[in-house]
Amino acid sequence: MTDYRKALEVLRGGGVRFIVIGGVAATAHGSSQLTNDLDVVYAREPDDIARLAAALAPYHPYLRGVPAGLPFKLDATTIKNGLNFTLDTDFGPLDLLGEATGGGTYAALLPATVTLDLFGGPCLCVDLATLIRLKRAAGRPKDILALGELEAILRASASGD
Amino acid sequence: MGSDEDQDRDPLVEALVRDVDMSLIRRNLKMTPQQRVEQLMEMQRFAAELREAGRKVRGKG
Repeated sequence: MTDYRKALEVLRGGGVRFIVIGGVAATAHGSSQLTNDLDVVYAREPDDIARLAAALAPYHPYLRGVPAGLPFKLDATTIKNGLNFTLDTDFGPLDLLGEATGGGTYAALLPATVTLDLFGGPCLCVDLATLIRLKRAAGRPKDILALGELEAILRASASGD
Repeated sequence: MGSDEDQDRDPLVEALVRDVDMSLIRRNLKMTPQQRVEQLMEMQRFAAELREAGRKVRGKG
């Protein structure tokens, strides 16, 4: 299980610039589908990377689905040399995306965000129309199946239903 | 801004939209975003309990 409150507090408290996408963004917009991880697009300026590494270090980030004991350490060098990371942490599964399929980087996605009040602070979340675009671009079966509900929410919101 | 017109015309999406339970959507839209995420965490807890119950039943079989 993911403690989303803790995850957001850790990222926000660490000064990390990030945008929530994926299933949690869908939930925030009104989806009723179950999701188990937190997907965020993070900023990749050197200071951002350093803050991200420092914020997550106390929560033992490790590659999800990889046998324990490998020499993996999510430090600033690792983040700089990589891009997207699927992690397990003490607060649950966390996917860090330097680039989102169909949406690009943090800077590219920033204009397509809304600021939500989540667990005591502001949280940037991709807007619903863009989330639909990202789901279409991802193109996995679960993303395609999510499109119907997201499109219904978009229409219901637009009509004031 | 709505989704693009091509998507609106996508027959697959239209078929999926027709099957959406709008009562759930309306219920969710009455909540705040935080309440929706809290509900998600409750769903996760429930799913975990169900999985554990299933494991116990299979273990007895």
